[in-house]
Amino acid sequence: MLRRWLACLLLAGLAPPVAVAQSPMPLVVEAALDRQVVAPLLAAFERTHPDIALVYHDRSTLEVDRRAREVRPAPDVVISSAMPWQLARVNEGLAQPLHSDEAHDWPAWAKWRNEVFGFTFEPIVTVYRLDLARYMIPPTTHADLQTILTSHQDRLRGRVTTYSPGRSGVGYTLFQQDARYSPRFWDLVAAMGAAEVSLEDNTQAMLDGLSEGRYWVGYNLLGSYAMHWAQNHPELIVQVPQDYALVMMRMAFVHRDAPHPAAAKAFVSFLLGVEGQRILAGSTPLFSVLPEVIGPYTAQRLRDQVGERLYPIPINASLLAFVDPLRRDAFMARWNREISILDP
Amino acid sequence: MIVVDGTLKRRLAAWLLATVGVLGAFLLLEAYTSAQRAADRAYDSQLEAAGLTIAEAIQWQDGRPIVEMPAAAFQILATDQQERVFYAILDAAGREVTGNLDGAVKPAWQRAAQTEPVWMTVRHRGTPIRLHGRELTSAGWESLDPVQIWVGHTLSGREALASDLFVRALTRFLAMVLLAGLLMLLAIRTALGPVRRLRQLLRQRDADDVRPLHARVPGELYDMADTLNALLARQREGRDALLRFTADASHQLKTPLAGLQSTSELALQSECPADWRHALETVHDSAARTSRLAGQLLSLARLRHADEDSLATVDLAALLRDTVMEWAERDVAQHHDLGLAPLPEAPLRIQGEPWSLREMIGNLIDNALRYTPPGSEITLGLERQADTVTLGIEDDGPGVGDSLLDRLHRPFERAGRQDTQGSGLGLAIVESIARRHDAVLSVRNVPGHGLWVGIRFPLLPEEA
Amino acid sequence: MRLLIVEDDPLIARSLVKALGPLGNTVETFSRLAEACAALAHSRFDLIVLDLGLPDGNGLALLGELRERGDATPVLILTARDGIEERVRGLDLGADDYLAKPFSVAELEARVRALLRRSQQRTDNRLQFGPLCFDPASGTATLHGETLALPRRELGLLEGLLLHGGRIAPREMLETRLFGFGEVGPNALEVYISRLRKRLQGSGLRIRTLRGLGYRLEDDPA
Repeated sequence: MLRRWLACLLLAGLAPPVAVAQSPMPLVVEAALDRQVVAPLLAAFERTHPDIALVYHDRSTLEVDRRAREVRPAPDVVISSAMPWQLARVNEGLAQPLHSDEAHDWPAWAKWRNEVFGFTFEPIVTVYRLDLARYMIPPTTHADLQTILTSHQDRLRGRVTTYSPGRSGVGYTLFQQDARYSPRFWDLVAAMGAAEVSLEDNTQAMLDGLSEGRYWVGYNLLGSYAMHWAQNHPELIVQVPQDYALVMMRMAFVHRDAPHPAAAKAFVSFLLGVEGQRILAGSTPLFSVLPEVIGPYTAQRLRDQVGERLYPIPINASLLAFVDPLRRDAFMARWNREISILDP
Repeated sequence: MIVVDGTLKRRLAAWLLATVGVLGAFLLLEAYTSAQRAADRAYDSQLEAAGLTIAEAIQWQDGRPIVEMPAAAFQILATDQQERVFYAILDAAGREVTGNLDGAVKPAWQRAAQTEPVWMTVRHRGTPIRLHGRELTSAGWESLDPVQIWVGHTLSGREALASDLFVRALTRFLAMVLLAGLLMLLAIRTALGPVRRLRQLLRQRDADDVRPLHARVPGELYDMADTLNALLARQREGRDALLRFTADASHQLKTPLAGLQSTSELALQSECPADWRHALETVHDSAARTSRLAGQLLSLARLRHADEDSLATVDLAALLRDTVMEWAERDVAQHHDLGLAPLPEAPLRIQGEPWSLREMIGNLIDNALRYTPPGSEITLGLERQADTVTLGIEDDGPGVGDSLLDRLHRPFERAGRQDTQGSGLGLAIVESIARRHDAVLSVRNVPGHGLWVGIRFPLLPEEA
Repeated sequence: MRLLIVEDDPLIARSLVKALGPLGNTVETFSRLAEACAALAHSRFDLIVLDLGLPDGNGLALLGELRERGDATPVLILTARDGIEERVRGLDLGADDYLAKPFSVAELEARVRALLRRSQQRTDNRLQFGPLCFDPASGTATLHGETLALPRRELGLLEGLLLHGGRIAPREMLETRLFGFGEVGPNALEVYISRLRKRLQGSGLRIRTLRGLGYRLEDDPA
């Protein structure tokens, strides 16, 4: 906040008097995306658009969704990692289409109706403590994980963590997607249940537990946060699953009732533009979607490392099935059944 | 005067355009609705597929339907056009078991879907959508209550497909119009062939060739060719009449000329000055008569060929006064008492041709001077009736026999006398001029003395 | 008197010379418009007899040119019998009189004489017809050189008749001259005419009545 004011003051000094007279256009962004992680991107946006006063709120996915639906005046831009809910909001007609060059050039698989755009490319990873390798072969695939959970059940009991499908929208989505790809997923759930898995609300909580040594292995963490964390926590190993790796995308849309549509469109266009993506790739662990962008965090680089077994969660109408309450009930019923199926 | 009034090509093109316009409007309307029907058929089948996919996933548990919504159903619903999708599963009481239609399915629609699957286009929260509903009888162990599956999506795919189909139909239609236009031009060229042939036939004719045309023409041109032949026939008649008139006239001229010739010949043979004098007097009279005859023939010929549009508003009183004044000055009038009865004060306007009216009055005076003895009284006058005016001339000469009165105005009739220098053309000219002015000529003997000739003209209405 | 005849028909030209020469005139004849123009350019004539249909143009052109120059030489035009429009145009352009072909020689002589007489009067302002003379300047009339003592209205009437000497003086013109534009009885003019007639008895002149038209001062054939 202080930096923004400083930037404003600096610009006011440099700009001609006419520019001072113009009050900057406000822009309200409601995002389920850590401010710290995304700070370089926001700073770059403010540099290129000094006439826009950006207000960025970092909230949970549920709160972002509630605000998009209920709070008026509506936010200008809505960003969330809860992909099915984002798509459901767009399907309800809560978004307005974006007709900028950047939106037009955006890959078709990463957008829907030209209204909502997946602008990050975050692999879902398994994280384990370096200690684990002393006792067993670290897991590189989903099957490996299930194997060590069953073969080292006693050693790992209580030291396994993953998302709570009931409390976390991201976790629920990831498990649903896992269940679609492999019927053996439920064996893994059963194995985790047998190992008395701890269910957390978010990736950060899992990372904290791993660093503290409470957990030895974490399943289905957001790769972006994990990689960022691991840079300063050498005791942790981030493993992108080698059989298949889900990829989650943060989805952004301009709200239908945006009070400042011009600024909102400029912001989303910036996210999708080469400049924004270059910052994503270079200064954040969020990974750029665009193949032409070069940096340490790009989808292309990830593909080079992991091969073609990256499974981005598709941005299309099929996501709507995950928000269907009946399907959710059915899924949770099965989850609860499977997680305790191996209990003695 | 022939004025070019457009071309046949343009007229036919206008008709074609009108036909194509009206027909085209219907065709395009039809194309538009059928394109929409086709698009609806194509996309309705997707709705049906999505509905069936959901139906397959429905199971019953504890008397309640349990659905694990198939993701594929949504993809089918959304289609390639990424439509917004709507769905609802309703239980027997019409409650929404799941879905995102929020009770938008009206009870009437539900009743309609009970008998057979329904499709409808409705507005949902301000957006037009296409809805499909079907009822599914339960197949579970406990429940017999049916459920209804409603699916829908927005219309952009249908609209895109319909407009694509319509544009294709439009393109085909325009191509057809273009082709029809070209064919029409060709058809006009061919159809106008007989007209060109007829023109050629007329062009090749000599100026005085008035024989009927002989040509093969299509039925549509028969009338025109026939009219042309009728015109040629009339010209033939006119020419024959002219020939007859010329023959008459030359006969009339030949008579005095022959007299001149024989008289002068006789005088040349004579040695006696008295004979010469006598012959010269005869020659002089005869020459005067001949030149007057020539003048009258010229007048008649001119009357026959005068333009119709030289009529003007004429004050008959002023014209009569001027003409009588002029004749009173002439030598021939010096031995008669030529006069004018008092004229009405107001001008008497008629539609007339000044030169022919003067000619007419002159002929009347000339006749009177010739057919009355010297010293006779000749009086011209105007007499006004309600909406006519009669120009009259009366003399106190001998008059004519009743049997001759009717024949007087025929050419070359001389009131049964051969002694005067008259040609007998005077009254014929007068009548001819009167006819041109819609006037009526009447001739009668004045009881006791002389002849009265009157011409009754229609008066122009008084100016306000 | 010098007369100019412009006529292309040699027969008519010759008869014109025959008829007009014996009246004590010098007569020159031209058959072309251009020749006539040339002659008029450097000599004066007392009268022009002008045929309208000439081989090198219409005689009206010459007439127009003449009047344009302010030349008031009397002009008598000869027209075809049916050329009424031409006749009217000629009078409009300033012709003094006209004769339609064919004409009688006697009529031509009479017209020429009248024109010459009138042009004579114009030059000395006096109106003269035969033995009768009226001087508008002094308002006196003489007959055979003897002064005629006439009342004012009779004098006005005489002047009116003399203005049209040998031709019809229209009745309306005479009435206006004598009584102004007021209403007059039908016989008022006749009264004055009969008084004048008495005075002219035996003078070789007479006043002829043309019914409905007017009166004409003319030579008394008796």
